[in-house]
Amino acid sequence: MIKIVKRDQPSRAIFFFTPVLAIFLTLVAGGLIFFILGFKPFEALKFFFIVPIADKYGFSELLLKATPLCLIAIGLSFCFKSNNWNIGAEGQLTFGAIVSGGVALLFYEQEGFYILPIVILAGAIGGMLYASIPAILKTYFNTNEILVSLMLVYVSKLILDYLVVGPWSNPEGFNFPETRQFSDSAKLPLLFEGLRIHAGIFLALAAVVISWFVFYKTYLGFQMKVSGFSLKTAKYAGYKGKKMIILVFLISGACAGLAGVGEITGPIGQLHREISPDYGFTAIIVAFLGRLHPVGIIFASLVVAITYLGAETAQIFMQIPKYTGQVFQGMILFFLLASDYLLFFKFKFIGSKK
Amino acid sequence: MNTNLKISNVTKIYPGCVANDNVSLEFNSGKIYALLGENGAGKSTLVKILSGVIIPDEGEIYLNKNNLKLNSPLDAKKNDIGMVFQHFNLFETLSVFENLIIDSDEQRESLREKIDSIMKKYNFSIDLDIPVLNLSAGQKQKVEIIRCLIRNPKVLIMDEPTSVLTEQETSELFLSLKKFSEEGILIIYITHKLKEVMQLCDEVAVMRRGKLVSVSEIKNENIESLANKMVGQNLKTIKKKKAKTSSDQLIKITNLNFTSEDPFETNLMDINFSVNRGECLGIAGISGNGQSELFQVLSGEIISDKNCIEFNNNYIGDLNPQERREYLMAFSPEDRLEQAAIPQMKIFENVALNNFKSSNFFNNGLINENKIKEHSKKIISDFNVNTDNIELKSQFLSGGNLQKLIIGRELITSPDLLICFNPTWGLDVGAINYIHETLIKINEQNKSIILISTDTDELLKLSDKISVIHKGKLSKIMNAEEVTSEKLGILMGGAN
Repeated sequence: MIKIVKRDQPSRAIFFFTPVLAIFLTLVAGGLIFFILGFKPFEALKFFFIVPIADKYGFSELLLKATPLCLIAIGLSFCFKSNNWNIGAEGQLTFGAIVSGGVALLFYEQEGFYILPIVILAGAIGGMLYASIPAILKTYFNTNEILVSLMLVYVSKLILDYLVVGPWSNPEGFNFPETRQFSDSAKLPLLFEGLRIHAGIFLALAAVVISWFVFYKTYLGFQMKVSGFSLKTAKYAGYKGKKMIILVFLISGACAGLAGVGEITGPIGQLHREISPDYGFTAIIVAFLGRLHPVGIIFASLVVAITYLGAETAQIFMQIPKYTGQVFQGMILFFLLASDYLLFFKFKFIGSKK
Repeated sequence: MNTNLKISNVTKIYPGCVANDNVSLEFNSGKIYALLGENGAGKSTLVKILSGVIIPDEGEIYLNKNNLKLNSPLDAKKNDIGMVFQHFNLFETLSVFENLIIDSDEQRESLREKIDSIMKKYNFSIDLDIPVLNLSAGQKQKVEIIRCLIRNPKVLIMDEPTSVLTEQETSELFLSLKKFSEEGILIIYITHKLKEVMQLCDEVAVMRRGKLVSVSEIKNENIESLANKMVGQNLKTIKKKKAKTSSDQLIKITNLNFTSEDPFETNLMDINFSVNRGECLGIAGISGNGQSELFQVLSGEIISDKNCIEFNNNYIGDLNPQERREYLMAFSPEDRLEQAAIPQMKIFENVALNNFKSSNFFNNGLINENKIKEHSKKIISDFNVNTDNIELKSQFLSGGNLQKLIIGRELITSPDLLICFNPTWGLDVGAINYIHETLIKINEQNKSIILISTDTDELLKLSDKISVIHKGKLSKIMNAEEVTSEKLGILMGGAN
């Protein structure tokens, strides 16, 4: 007989094991779905998860997709660890891209080493500005940050739409909904000839290191941790709880904004309608799959990035829609939440009684 | 008709603790039974089993020889077992009648008639059509009791019913309970207050660490014998020596007002008092009369006008708790698990919550873990916290040990003034004694204490001066020797 028993305390080993279990279950369920659709499960999974990253180009694409996911998830981890539910990273990404794109367009005929830093900074500031809206509304007017940040996503996308179709559209662009190409000085340099991976990956790695340091080694991180567990305790200790809330939103907005910069100043080099395939939402899954830990987030961003690539290969070779990728992302989150049950409960095998 | 309730070999095991260890008890109507024990002795678990909230691992319950299977509170109600919990289960914004009709199957009119006759019979006077939030704690409790009586219960269980009542309300409650008992309702009264057991009950069952220690008749017991059974050791009594009267003023509060935007908080009105060095000022009151707000104003969680609070000749009303600590104030809030400490964090991390500049816990914005750990070890050994692992998450400390850690954390910087709010709430007698001794020691070192507490005995034991807070107003400050618990009770109820 199997009995479910509550654990005395959440197990630390299980804490890091459940994401692996979730990925495994996703593969099993994915295989099953392919089987029902009439494909050979193993072959389909191979197309989905192995073929895309089997060569150098594929691996570069993997890192290209993982970069924004990792960057955004790192920012979100600050919010989520302190119980602030910012789910509008997609909007912060978009607005960051708008601001940095606008700055890049200002310099479109100029060259100079100083342009790229200004463009990058502008993206971070744009993301912060956009994230400050739900933060300030939450702290001073008690609004719900989930709703505000989510709704602002659609606002930012409409602003972007308006700009690329209207005032910022390329005068020589035959009315395509896109801006001029940025000058080379406003673009993140590509790392290797012929591959699309660009210097944005260093921004992501820097974010990983800095977030680890801030959260685990500084007084500021300690205050965020305390405020996240209990605002009452933070108040009692004399920390400025409201400022802490605004700060985590700004950090996460800045990270999303930087991801937006990477998307437009990387290989594409212009603003257009669809700058992000929902990286801002997918990064929420990455953050939780990575257990809100910087190192975990690196691995999680790689795993989730494969689903983007796999969906494309599957579309080409198996003629199934690329939205299958989202199905896989959904399954990962689903199985992760489900297997978190094991954090608090365990199965006990007991012989028949007496 | 006689009611016989029998608990037979009940066992309930939680991870890491046996809450009820093979408990067997028998009750008969016509008597009032006390179930006595410290916090954590297992009495709440036992009554929760009786009321269907918890399902026991082993054991049976019989009512009049019928084996009861109590899988939910509804089962208990169906079997005529009524229960009044320590914390009220009432909707504050609904009227009394609406609260009563929620879980009743009767028609409005017949229910109203029934309630009226119950109130007439037992001399209750409650307006059925006003919202519950306008009722006093005693009246709310009566509503809960009426809710049970509507169902004509055979058994009525009262869990620590007097913790929110004044002395006067308590004696009213006792009268009603005696009347119920005469009418044949079996009463089980759960408490850790010995005086009440002696006043009210006929028989007493004592529990300790999940086990039933003794069952005896009250006439064969006295307060000391019960206390020793409850604690399992002979207690030494602590007495405070009378403090040297000092005229050296440490803190002075002048014309302090606080108006809250939250309708469930209490406004503070025109608070004035001062405390001298080496003195303990006790602030009595029934919980919810502004104690929490007063604590927050004193600790700096609520900022007030700069000139309202004068401490050591500095005006500090506009400073936050951290800044006030630099002036040598220390604070121990009521809620250990949600405010004073964070259970999910390690012991040494909790120590870092009291961040003093001179303690160097954080240098240039970086965490100085070695310093914090060193400091934590000192607190653990100086204040008898029963662990040697400062990496332990504090949720694994017992209430008493956690409170020792908190008090230790606050005192290790040797502050001039400690402000504490219900420092011994929910602790076992051993830990209470330790905390009381510590507080007395502070006064002996010429440091001061403001003790906000709902425990009158504690206040009378520790305070040099006492004031009572009622609806956000302080009574005049009295010398502790002139005060009796009866007098406090009257003031706590709002009379002059």
